[in-house]
Amino acid sequence: MPYWLPLSLLLGLLSLDVTAIGQFMVSRPIVVGPLVGLVTGHPELGLTLGALTELLWIADVPVGSHLPMDLCMLSGISVAFASELVGRGADPAAAATYALGISIPLALLSTEAELGLRKFHVRWMHFAQRMALGNHFKTFEGVNTAVLLELFLKGCLMAFLGLTVAHATANLYFLLPSPVVKGLRDAALWLLPALGGAAVIDLVLEKRMALTLFLSMALILGLALLGHLQSAELVGLAVLSGFGTILLMAGKGETS
Amino acid sequence: MSPESPSSTARKTGFLGLASAFVRSLFLQTAWNFERYLNYGVAFALCPVLRRLYPKEERGEALSRHLDYFNTHPYMGSFILGAVIKMEEERAQAPKERQKEKEEEINALKVGMMGPLAAMGDNFFWATVRPYCGLLAVTLVMTRVMGTSLETWVVPLLFLASFNVVHLGTRLRGFVMGYQKGDQVVLSMRRIGLQEAIRGIRTASVLLVAVLIVFVNREDLEGQPGHFLLKLIFFIAILGLFTFALHRRISPAQLFYAAVFFALLLNYWPTLSATPGLPGIVSPEALPSVGITPP
Repeated sequence: MPYWLPLSLLLGLLSLDVTAIGQFMVSRPIVVGPLVGLVTGHPELGLTLGALTELLWIADVPVGSHLPMDLCMLSGISVAFASELVGRGADPAAAATYALGISIPLALLSTEAELGLRKFHVRWMHFAQRMALGNHFKTFEGVNTAVLLELFLKGCLMAFLGLTVAHATANLYFLLPSPVVKGLRDAALWLLPALGGAAVIDLVLEKRMALTLFLSMALILGLALLGHLQSAELVGLAVLSGFGTILLMAGKGETS
Repeated sequence: MSPESPSSTARKTGFLGLASAFVRSLFLQTAWNFERYLNYGVAFALCPVLRRLYPKEERGEALSRHLDYFNTHPYMGSFILGAVIKMEEERAQAPKERQKEKEEEINALKVGMMGPLAAMGDNFFWATVRPYCGLLAVTLVMTRVMGTSLETWVVPLLFLASFNVVHLGTRLRGFVMGYQKGDQVVLSMRRIGLQEAIRGIRTASVLLVAVLIVFVNREDLEGQPGHFLLKLIFFIAILGLFTFALHRRISPAQLFYAAVFFALLLNYWPTLSATPGLPGIVSPEALPSVGITPP
């Protein structure tokens, strides 16, 4: 892959956003995907694969001590790898599924590395405590920079490793028989969006909202079939009614 | 800073100290560790404040007080941080005999608020606002709302803007509110009405999923509505199956491989591919395109 080094640095930098700095969500797949796609020259593929990844892991949230999948690495590696496959003439949808399937274990490895470092940070913390007791403020604050550097290097290393391993499996894709390629394509276009929708429903649906889901689906379906509304109008409608509900609820909360 | 005794003059953090503490609160989770979680992050954010409040020989002891176990949601932590700064100011101004009492109050505030705030933040940000912003962006991509070249820029920016307005707004408002109210911040927080907002945003998310469900099967919508309905019912059945699996704590990664395996199975199963009602699953030309087009 021609963009190995800049991609590793970019992913190392973006991976700091996951927990270390600010959580501005520039490390989410919907942002990382098009960014990496821009570097590799396939921004649209990056956007679509990023959106799919975002949807699939939308319910994987860091509640309690649960550490979610490293989505920054997952989307970065999978988009870079899918771009390489598409560049060599692969079908984009099938390549997307294949790249995602190869990248999941690599992203899990990165999550494990993060867990290991968090155990290691106990030592940093004890060192910082000694510095605090000894009144060494400058050294105490330096720990923050040292940990950031350490996490940045971890991100770069994991990205480099992931890109190398993914690249090594590229030839395998072109050996796949055509029914398998078709299956991978079907998965990307149809089954995986279903899985993503299920993730959202599992996350947000409370029992009393099941009726709302059915009614709103019937409404959207009716509008699409009978009213011949286009996607833009329907998304706008959904967002507006959502905002309406929020304002209504928030208004109620303010007065009660 | 003059080496006066802390009780003689009113020591204030000042705007610069507050701004510096706020910027440093972005690093709350940097040294996340498995023994005391975010303790270093809080102490690091409080460094500029303690520098301004205490004479040199008392600073180390003050800093060490903030290295106890601390864990909360990173955004909601700003409420606690603002309140702690206010209370540290009060401690620095209090007479010697009341300082111990103040220290205990600061610790009690931190320990008492971190749990409830973590629960609120997890529920509001991780389980509601971020999925909603993400889902909105994903729906825009998958339903091809915008022109193809434009959305590569617009969708990620829209996602970042919509999420960070809420994110930074909460951080800033929490920090200011905490600093203004001190230990009374808990009482003021009741008026924010997060619970109502959560319910509203979740309703909107459900509506967006409905749009997504309809438009993933869109290709057939234009041609054959009957075919479309049949496929939609099958799609919803699979969706229900996946929802059930996720509800039983099967991870998305495992379900990903399960879905791929299922797709491969369908392609090797001649009877299924011959079923007239469901040709969309197996023949690529009848499939709805989610937009992965060769660039």
